[in-house]
Amino acid sequence: MTGRRGPRPTSDRLRRLLVMLPWLMEHGEVTVDEMCDRFELTEAELVKDLELAAMCGLPPFVDEMVDVFIDEGRVYAGVPRLFTRPLRLTAPEGFALLAAARVAMQLPGADVDGALARALQKLAAVLGDDAVVMETPQPLAAAMVVDAAQRSARLHITYWSPAADQRTERDITPRRVFFDGGYWYVIADDHRSGEERTFRIDRIEQCELTGVIDEPREVEVPRADTWFADDELPAAVLRVPASGGWVAERYPTRSVQQDGDGWRIEVTVASERWLRDLLLRLGAEAHVVEPAEWVNLGATAAAEVLRRYS
Amino acid sequence: MADALERVTNLVALLMEARSPLTQDQIIHELAGQYPAGDAAQRGAFERDKAMLREIGVPLESEVLGGNDAGRTAYRIDRARYELADLQLAPDEQAALQLAVAAARLADAQFGLLKLGGDRSSAPVVVANIPDLPALPAIREASAARAQVVFGYHGSLRRLYPYALLLRERYWYVIGLDVDRDEVRTYRVDRLEGELAVGEAAAFERPVDFDPRSTFPTDPKLLGDEPAARAEVLIDEPRAAAIALELGDAALISQRPDGSIVVEVPCANIDAFRSWLFGIGEYAEVLAPAEVRAGVVAWLQAMAGAR
Repeated sequence: MTGRRGPRPTSDRLRRLLVMLPWLMEHGEVTVDEMCDRFELTEAELVKDLELAAMCGLPPFVDEMVDVFIDEGRVYAGVPRLFTRPLRLTAPEGFALLAAARVAMQLPGADVDGALARALQKLAAVLGDDAVVMETPQPLAAAMVVDAAQRSARLHITYWSPAADQRTERDITPRRVFFDGGYWYVIADDHRSGEERTFRIDRIEQCELTGVIDEPREVEVPRADTWFADDELPAAVLRVPASGGWVAERYPTRSVQQDGDGWRIEVTVASERWLRDLLLRLGAEAHVVEPAEWVNLGATAAAEVLRRYS
Repeated sequence: MADALERVTNLVALLMEARSPLTQDQIIHELAGQYPAGDAAQRGAFERDKAMLREIGVPLESEVLGGNDAGRTAYRIDRARYELADLQLAPDEQAALQLAVAAARLADAQFGLLKLGGDRSSAPVVVANIPDLPALPAIREASAARAQVVFGYHGSLRRLYPYALLLRERYWYVIGLDVDRDEVRTYRVDRLEGELAVGEAAAFERPVDFDPRSTFPTDPKLLGDEPAARAEVLIDEPRAAAIALELGDAALISQRPDGSIVVEVPCANIDAFRSWLFGIGEYAEVLAPAEVRAGVVAWLQAMAGAR
């Protein structure tokens, strides 16, 4: 919606109009600014659509025309007659609302008997009795990390890094907590490296408050699959067949490109051992394009395992 | 000619207010001057309008008329089905839902919230990236309506009574009664092939207290069409203890004097089996059945030869 370019498709405009009109009828009079903000439209877009709506209805009956006008930055709605209620929730909207509420019920710190649970019940009553279960793990440190993120509290943690196969101790100031691909992560100021780092919460083995409170700071949470947890790690470019596309779903990637009937995927390499196992699982149709040191890794690994079967 | 938005808005108003279903000719007559001139252009524009209404979720119903108009199609919008039911959310419930929607960052949820009268809120400290797949909403609706779904999977058509959806790690699964096999089966939603077809409502009953977590195979190697298939795998001493712990006592076939063990592992899902096997690298060897062992050897030979 933001960052949208070019003409808006009529379906988008209609979808929005059928929500805007009932809302306007209910409120009677609002500012143009408020409507623009709420419905994510520019003033020109809003005015254009409302002016069109004001020509809509079923002539010749005046009371069956949409009664809306705009004057001096304010929008006025007349007697509601048509479009008094929003269009029902579509299947994707219903699914997404339920999914949002269900996953929020499992977020660290959620009040499972509170307002959200009641809202979810009301939604489910309207949308039908399905059985959707969203599992999210609850790592031990999650509650403390979320609490620290909310008040910029500095933590002392012991963190296990599987790539380096070692434990480290450091102070971090958690900023945002997010769930992605089955794991909880925290974006934090890492006071050991002096940089912003992302940590997997289930790998925080010990965690305690230091008593230090830092300045609040806003950080962006990456969208799904656009990030990787350890950006200091090396990368490898793989060529995999179409059937190997799961690599891009399952592991952090730096780029994914269609390459003929397969994929060219740049993966973050947690360790050589990990890459070796991945290549064995992918089989003969996949290979490392670069770096050169790993081009023969798959063949070497296969020959090693094969010795068992001779 | 009118702006397409104006025409289609009027079309919604007309079909909601009409006392009886209207044919295409009647609609074009009522909306005089709003459809382009000429039969073909009119029909094309009307088809696009219908498609647009269905796309945004307007419940456009059609029926074939009898009597004097036999064979003609007439259209209506049932106001009761069009209008959003009032959820009567209390202010604190509304606020909690707003926060949940902001945390989940799903565009459809944000739009749905607008319909419910909620405001947009800025993203909270804790957010979740939920895997989104086009088939999920239709499967959820089919599950709520107790309607059969039909989809392609591994090249063949499956008919399923969808009991439940489960998000586990990064995948969505649909779990239900496979009608042709008369068994509860689990399918990964991102692997469904082709268009999903949804049947009539009230086609089945979901078992009371059905919980997808308990029927879902805890072991991905069990996912597949022959849940009974098992392989015998020899695990060398360095990894024996860890693997024995992972698989449990029931999987242990024998223990050898050198500390290695032989375990029984599901292998119906050969991809999942290989993934597991090669995760143990050179410390694991398939002993039986012969065709699984031969398959692993062929896989490795192809790789080793590709050097």
